[in-house]
Amino acid sequence: MENPFDTLGLPLRFDLDPQDIERRYRDLQRAVHPDRHTTAAPATRRAALSGAVSVSEAYRTLRDEVLRAEALLRALGRPVDLETAKPEPELLMEMMELRESLHEARVAGDARRVDGLRSRVVAERDTTLAELTQKFVAGDLDRATALVSRLRYYRRFLDEVAGFEDEDTHLGPR
Amino acid sequence: MALLQINDPGAAPTPIGIDLGTTNSLVAYVTTLGRPTAIFDCDGEALVPSVVHYPEAGDIVVGRDAQALAIAHPRDTLVSVKRFMGRGAGDPETRRLGPYRFATDEGPVVRFAVAGGRVVTPVEASAEILRTLKENAEDELGKVGGAVITVPAYFDDAQRQATKDAARLAGLEVLRLLNEPTAAALAYGLDSQKNGTFVVYDLGGGTFDVTVLVLDDGVFQVRATGGDTQLGGDDVDRAIAETLLAAMGEDPKGELAPSLVRAALDAARAAKHALTDTDETVARVAAPGRAVHEQTLTRSALDALVTPVVERTAPTCRRALRDSGIALDAIDGVILVGGSTRMPLVRRFVAEMFGKTPLDSIDPDQVVALGAAVQADLLAGAGPRKDVLLLDVLPLSLGIETMGGVVERILPRNTAIPAGAKQTFTTYADQQTGFELHVV
Repeated sequence: MENPFDTLGLPLRFDLDPQDIERRYRDLQRAVHPDRHTTAAPATRRAALSGAVSVSEAYRTLRDEVLRAEALLRALGRPVDLETAKPEPELLMEMMELRESLHEARVAGDARRVDGLRSRVVAERDTTLAELTQKFVAGDLDRATALVSRLRYYRRFLDEVAGFEDEDTHLGPR
Repeated sequence: MALLQINDPGAAPTPIGIDLGTTNSLVAYVTTLGRPTAIFDCDGEALVPSVVHYPEAGDIVVGRDAQALAIAHPRDTLVSVKRFMGRGAGDPETRRLGPYRFATDEGPVVRFAVAGGRVVTPVEASAEILRTLKENAEDELGKVGGAVITVPAYFDDAQRQATKDAARLAGLEVLRLLNEPTAAALAYGLDSQKNGTFVVYDLGGGTFDVTVLVLDDGVFQVRATGGDTQLGGDDVDRAIAETLLAAMGEDPKGELAPSLVRAALDAARAAKHALTDTDETVARVAAPGRAVHEQTLTRSALDALVTPVVERTAPTCRRALRDSGIALDAIDGVILVGGSTRMPLVRRFVAEMFGKTPLDSIDPDQVVALGAAVQADLLAGAGPRKDVLLLDVLPLSLGIETMGGVVERILPRNTAIPAGAKQTFTTYADQQTGFELHVV
């Protein structure tokens, strides 16, 4: 099965330029999208559809840092098994504390504290991303795998915070 | 008045674009010179009010003529039927202030009891509107081909299916359902030929959609979309009507004569429209069998009623921006779509939220149908244009219901389409020989 990097014609590396991903995705869709083949034979249209689906899937994977890292590990022969992957105990402790703080802040309606927690996790995430890039370049796939696991936890936390911020109404534009 | 179109009986049928709106509907096509153009009826009007009247006997009436009969026949004249599409009879949305008589209080489909002992579903009523639009198009173009029909981006699968069913009933071949904000962006993008990142803020009679798009050399790529299918200008009408009814000594939440309800809603809407251009107007409720009630309504009173509506759009806009991964200051322009965006408060709100003066150079009432016509032409016209491609997204996540009522989300919202996914499930019981696939 073709990996998403090959599908979009991008190099097998982690630190891809998001603009490159966007451009390649659009260029490919210009060629394969079914709407480009409305007057073609059914077999051609079917091929176009399956091509477009692959391109969309590759795009979705590469655009998302966590999915991109996992796809890269898989392409390099080190697929991540989500069932058996055990997170580092320090990470679990850290996430538990963060979640407790988040819950308290929410219950107290303390928007500033929630914001503070978010900023902290965003900073951790960015540091982890930088380290992950380095590890991929250095070929340290063991460490890379552990870092991807961290990213997943941070992502889940940030999604939750975002969800809360959506629900809390603000008066007027922010 | 449109130029005379010489119809060659041997020519291929013309594909059309249809905006089946909550308040008004419109049909458009692309001329041989490549210009998207609305089709006018024999009275020179492009907009067909989405109103259907069922008389005791005789032909069903659609449009302005039906509107004129609404106060005298409030239970037999269906207004804003789009907000009932794809909803069950017990859905709270169907119970909001309105004059209708429902044939049943339960069931997967709303059923209106109208004159002549008829029971009508929203799909059937919508089909009448589509039929009228099709006839107007045939009067202008001769043979009509496939149609692209627009729906709110946030319409769910039941609502989309209902729209397709209505089209089929009306004898239309549906080329595709197109999301309304995407259609509007298509119309603007082709008009302006400018690359960039745009937000479409679409506030109609009954639905709100917000879409973030990138326009890059003819590719219209939707990055994220969000919305609310129970929010629109009709909510403002209802709020004003309740104020009017209360001033008349009536209990807006109580049992009210249907003709009074319709008269109050009509007066509310007229006042709302008038207040677009003035600071003060007189609302006039003329219900049969009672004295005319007149009441001054000010722009600031209207603003107070509109504010909660626009405030409800704010979190949806923020979420769409976040889902798109595009920062607020990276937005190049905001496009306004839908009649409700004519209200000065709405414009101010949008301008403040996005820090930009909104674009509205294309008539917000027509822009969606024009975009649909372009898409119809692309899909069924003389052949795909090399320079235009629409890339849309799933507005809502899709998943499968598993045992215990848990939903396994397979494709998250804002996934670029066409999309596919593979997931493995196991059977629940030994020797199980089949299963029901319930997509949610």
